Amino acid sequence: MRRLHPFTLLAIAGALPALAWTLPAPWGGLATAVLAFALTLTPGASPRLPVFRTALVTAAPFWVFLLLLHDVASTVAIGLRITTMVASFVWLMAALAPSRLVEAMVAAGWGASVAYLFAATLSAVPLLRARARRIVDAQRCRGLSPRGGVASRLRALRALALPLVLSALHEVDERALALETRGLVPGVRRTPLAPPPDSALQRIGRWGLVTVCAAALVWRVTWSG
Amino acid sequence: MSIRLLALIPVAAAISLALSAAVEAVALPLFLDTTGTILATALAGPGVGIATGVVTSAVNSLRNPTFWPFVVVQIIVALYAWIAARAGLFRGLRTAVPAGLGLGVIASITSTPISYVVFGCSTTSGIALATAVGKALGLSPLGACFFGSFVSDFGDKAVTFALVTSVLHALPRRTAARFPWALRAIGAS
Repeated sequence: MRRLHPFTLLAIAGALPALAWTLPAPWGGLATAVLAFALTLTPGASPRLPVFRTALVTAAPFWVFLLLLHDVASTVAIGLRITTMVASFVWLMAALAPSRLVEAMVAAGWGASVAYLFAATLSAVPLLRARARRIVDAQRCRGLSPRGGVASRLRALRALALPLVLSALHEVDERALALETRGLVPGVRRTPLAPPPDSALQRIGRWGLVTVCAAALVWRVTWSG
Repeated sequence: MSIRLLALIPVAAAISLALSAAVEAVALPLFLDTTGTILATALAGPGVGIATGVVTSAVNSLRNPTFWPFVVVQIIVALYAWIAARAGLFRGLRTAVPAGLGLGVIASITSTPISYVVFGCSTTSGIALATAVGKALGLSPLGACFFGSFVSDFGDKAVTFALVTSVLHALPRRTAARFPWALRAIGAS
């Protein structure tokens, strides 16, 4: 599965939830949920069992919330759709490296700036989270108490969030300088160094999935009500 | 779009996603997941704000796909923040907090149909519990769903607006002046 083109992986992960919401409940949702969980056990989604378990653990709370709010029939119908969506995306995250997606987007003619937005955000989030944790530890060392009443907690939140946001904003100029140095000008097309291989079969498969989703929607609207 | 504004978008999106660590530390029922969108809009206008909102939703969806349908809310938030910035509502907490409360109402009106139709109001534990309370109070299913969204959004957006206002005022003037909307948003130009 990992060898598939990133757009093919995206098409599969997008088509399953689309079909889950389009096909009649509960059988449509059940079929797509089974398919999505089967994907989490495919060799590409390694390590296999943790991917399956992550999908299961992520989807489980929704069933609890749904049971709290709805009858059993509605819970099953909505739960299977949400489960399909969760399992498909968990599988996608395990099978698709963000760097491959960026290369594929650039190869397909997307602007380098669009690809940069996603790649830069993905790499910045763990860095800022780690910095946020360091700021929490540092402020605690200085005597900041994140407990007490709401007003006291809000003051603590300000003391934790402000250094994080300000330090991140000060990085904008450094990042802009780095981008200019590397010649990233919005609107200019770049050539990827190692574009993921694509094939006619995969392109047909992607269009096939789009056609199946569109056909299911038309069938549901016109014949099935 | 200038290179500086392009560089601002991923930073602002990452701020939205990283603030959860600070929220966890103080154990408040807040998301603050629109902070980057509002901040980017107040600094650089609606185009950058909307782009930040879309990127935030897309990247957040990789962690939890249920966030993606709510991308519409991020766009509405950016447009609202733009109006607030034009009106200079970030000039102090006295104007920012009421503006944030207004956004809380608009955000819950926007998110309720999505939450109701797509997820049966089961998006997070807090929203599900608040929706259950709404049902117990005798509200209709859609009314209870709005109640759940309202309870979670109302205070969250007020705190977010207050936080963004604090950031804008804490920014050195020289840094703020590098962004096209920052000084106008705080009523300094």
